[in-house]
Amino acid sequence: MNKVTENLRQTAAKLLKDQEVEMVIGYGLGSEAVRTQPVFITSPDDVDKLVWNPFCVNGLTKYLSDLKTLSGKIAVCVKGCDSRGVFRITQDNIIPRDKVVVLGIPCAGQMSYTKLASKMDVTGQLKEVDDKGETLVIKTSNGDFTVKKSEVILDKCLKCESHNPVVADHMVGDKVSVTDTPDDYDEIKKYEAMSPEEKAKFWLSQFDRCIRCYACRNSCPGCTCRECIFDAIKPDWVGKEMNLDENELFHLTRAFHLAGRCVDCGECDRVCPMDIPIRLLNKKLLKDCKELFGMETPGSAEEGGSVLGQYRLEDPEEFM
Amino acid sequence: MVLKRLLEYVGYEPGRFKARWISGSEGQKWADTTKEMTEAIKALGPNKRFKKD
Repeated sequence: MNKVTENLRQTAAKLLKDQEVEMVIGYGLGSEAVRTQPVFITSPDDVDKLVWNPFCVNGLTKYLSDLKTLSGKIAVCVKGCDSRGVFRITQDNIIPRDKVVVLGIPCAGQMSYTKLASKMDVTGQLKEVDDKGETLVIKTSNGDFTVKKSEVILDKCLKCESHNPVVADHMVGDKVSVTDTPDDYDEIKKYEAMSPEEKAKFWLSQFDRCIRCYACRNSCPGCTCRECIFDAIKPDWVGKEMNLDENELFHLTRAFHLAGRCVDCGECDRVCPMDIPIRLLNKKLLKDCKELFGMETPGSAEEGGSVLGQYRLEDPEEFM
Repeated sequence: MVLKRLLEYVGYEPGRFKARWISGSEGQKWADTTKEMTEAIKALGPNKRFKKD
């Protein structure tokens, strides 16, 4: 067992025993060796279900919104990327900050399931992970596998702006010394440079595949409207049909609702069963809002809000 | 501003969407903007997206 897991279990057990929190949300072993799943611990006897390994890809902050009616406090495990989701949810007044206990876990990068699955047998159960620096030795019930980290790391982790959580009431684990590499938006610039025809072709072929499962919305810490416009029984101007036009409207509307609010955790991209690059839309808005209004990535600080919901005299006024 | 950039990012032609702040007392500005925009859009041709069958 690694040190972080040990720390995590001790902290969780203490919080639950002292009745400081009612529930701890963390990562547990998943159905396959290199998967983890969210676990919801309410008794100190169950803390052994908590784990920390390089496969904890999920963002757990959205559960704060789902569990906001719980009477007690909730402790939630966050990595650097999804720690910004905590502030998204508290800034949006979904749950008060003092009802959340943040268990911050510094993270050097998580490994992609798809990349791992092409390199090893992932169907067994995980026994142990040995971090050897450059490589990982993954010991499973189906044998041991050695993989190079650089070959299986998630793409989003290569451009990570905060390896260490931006907020933590309890930091479990030592700060990682990996240099933060804020996004240079090179990928967005590549898509911006295409001609309108090429852009239309690319994006329409993406929107066409959408099955309107709403997984992107459900996993998003910014999508917390009490009644989502896409759930309305009789929406006024957006249809519920699954066709190209309505799908396009869905994606553009969702992206725009997150303009200046998206914390760039990358969950939408990860959960999409159709592999639609949803994050490219959100990143474009993030880039524009940063350029136009000089904001930092939303959720980086406790105070703040949506730049599109605020007015400053120095805001650009292209529409005058 | 942000929406205009988003629409152009997903392939709408620049100029098809425009936002202008025009006060009720600025009749000439309103007329000029409308004329300008009508001409620009006529040149672009009909929008092929967001069409109900």
